Amino acid sequence: MIVEGSNVQIAYGENIVVDGIDIEVRKGEITTIIGPNGSGKSTVLKALTRLLDYKVGSICVDDTEIRKIDSKELAKKMGVLPQRHQAPPDFKVKDLVSFGRMPYQKWFKGSSDEDKEIVQWAMEQAGVLDLQNKSIQTCSGGQAQRVWIATVLAQKPEIMFLDEPTTYLDVAYQLETMRLVKRLNRESGIGIVMVLHDLSHALEVSDRIVILKDGVKYDEGAPKDVVTPTMMQDVYGVSCNIVFLEGRENPIIVYDEI
Amino acid sequence: MITNKKNYKKDSFGRVTCVCLMLVVAIAIMSIVALGIGSAGYSPKEIIDALISDEHSTIKVVVTHLRLPRVLLALLVGAALSIAGALLQSVMGNPLADPGSIGVSAGAGTAAITILLLFPHLSASVPLFAFAGAALACVLIFIMAYDGGISAIRIILSGVAINSVLGAYNSFLQLLHSDDLSSVLAFMNGSLSGRSWSQVYIAAAYGSVGLVLAFCCIKTANLLLLGEDMAKSLGVNVTKSRILLSAVSAFLAAATVTVVGMVGFVGLIVPHISRLVIGSDYKALLPVCTLMGALVVLVADTVGRTIIPGMEVPVGIVMALVGGPFFLYMLKKKGKVYGG
Repeated sequence: MIVEGSNVQIAYGENIVVDGIDIEVRKGEITTIIGPNGSGKSTVLKALTRLLDYKVGSICVDDTEIRKIDSKELAKKMGVLPQRHQAPPDFKVKDLVSFGRMPYQKWFKGSSDEDKEIVQWAMEQAGVLDLQNKSIQTCSGGQAQRVWIATVLAQKPEIMFLDEPTTYLDVAYQLETMRLVKRLNRESGIGIVMVLHDLSHALEVSDRIVILKDGVKYDEGAPKDVVTPTMMQDVYGVSCNIVFLEGRENPIIVYDEI
Repeated sequence: MITNKKNYKKDSFGRVTCVCLMLVVAIAIMSIVALGIGSAGYSPKEIIDALISDEHSTIKVVVTHLRLPRVLLALLVGAALSIAGALLQSVMGNPLADPGSIGVSAGAGTAAITILLLFPHLSASVPLFAFAGAALACVLIFIMAYDGGISAIRIILSGVAINSVLGAYNSFLQLLHSDDLSSVLAFMNGSLSGRSWSQVYIAAAYGSVGLVLAFCCIKTANLLLLGEDMAKSLGVNVTKSRILLSAVSAFLAAATVTVVGMVGFVGLIVPHISRLVIGSDYKALLPVCTLMGALVVLVADTVGRTIIPGMEVPVGIVMALVGGPFFLYMLKKKGKVYGG
């Protein structure tokens, strides 16, 4: 599955936020969108998942215009973990994950045996199986994030979109979430599209990085090709060195002393 | 793991059944009490004897013609208003939503006051006009709130605007006719006094339709709790769902307004109590809410008509009087359970 946006322009009312972007994300790959605050990262992610409509250009899922796809059919192909999500604190983990099966159910029907199996599978994948009877309010931040990822997994999407999945988490939970995402991609070939703020995470897990600046695409490519001192200066106005360490595949960023 | 799963399911199902059964018993006991007390008091045995026998006794007349319809109406009104509130709280993602916030009360009030004060010869048709007024105000609010989609905040804000304008009109009209307000006051404060079987039939007809519709909305109501983006990405048409749920809610609330006038606080308080008891999942919440609402309004009405001998305190006043402080109490006690 490929989601392909060409010459996409997105606006909130009159205010154009993203102007003329070409972007392609596909199954099997981890694509990370980075850029400074206000560069349009989340906006692009929302448009690619139809949470937001676009003004100009086109976004197609396997050559079908995204606007023309039935909502439930789309929900079977792509799962989204939006930046803002909420659940009543007393909801049970298992019940929350079961919502991921909604696109497969008729409104008057309950869960089928297949649904239940997939919910179990999703919880197992995300490592929350032993939490299934706990309420969401008793989960830690990192656990809660894994529960939400399990919910999206239960949709059985070909591509999973995550909008800043590590924001508000401490570093241990951030790494835990990144590890989970990478494992899901490598083991089941699910496509991952993320918006990330943390560039070192982006360097570590991404197959491809798309860099946005002021609503246009600055560059895209393999992490070590596009994350360069020049880019950091141009896009973020930050001077730094990119250092390769022995025994590590991806480089790390060393910022100038403060 | 499999046995675990089954046990859990049984537990959760059992809990709902258990709470519902307790509520049914409470309603039955309260109904017998309500049938028995009043200006003439009867024991449960006397009531049952009178109902069974073929004789035409005073007890039988009082119980079947005066008290029974009133009890049934209180149950129906309570159930309908509570469900209306619970559904709206999902639409708004806000525990403070009640049928008043989508203009049902103000719209019905405006229509009723206009008829009662300006066209008194049409007084008999007040229910019809009140229903139309409620529907109209509600539709108006949704038209104003529509902006490609419908967000909760826009509904609330246009609700405030419409409510304030209609409220001003209502107050002005009452000022102009301040010498002739008894009928208006009875409507505005929601009273169950002097209601007959025909009104029970009307409420039962509307109520059962609304109830069936409401129970069809359970899944949608749950999904809306996850927030707009999450619901959308699970394939839900959020705008359509919000309108649908609000329409069911407005229908239920408007139906009760036409029969008993305006009863506040039920739609706000009962869903909250129910959430504290059974949780936020609408699969469990809606049945509990239905029974809890019926019980609460029956108690409120029974208290209202017996607390001051020789005088009726309208159920609307009792609800507001007890509901306000109770609401504050809950706010203090349990901040973490929320409406949506």
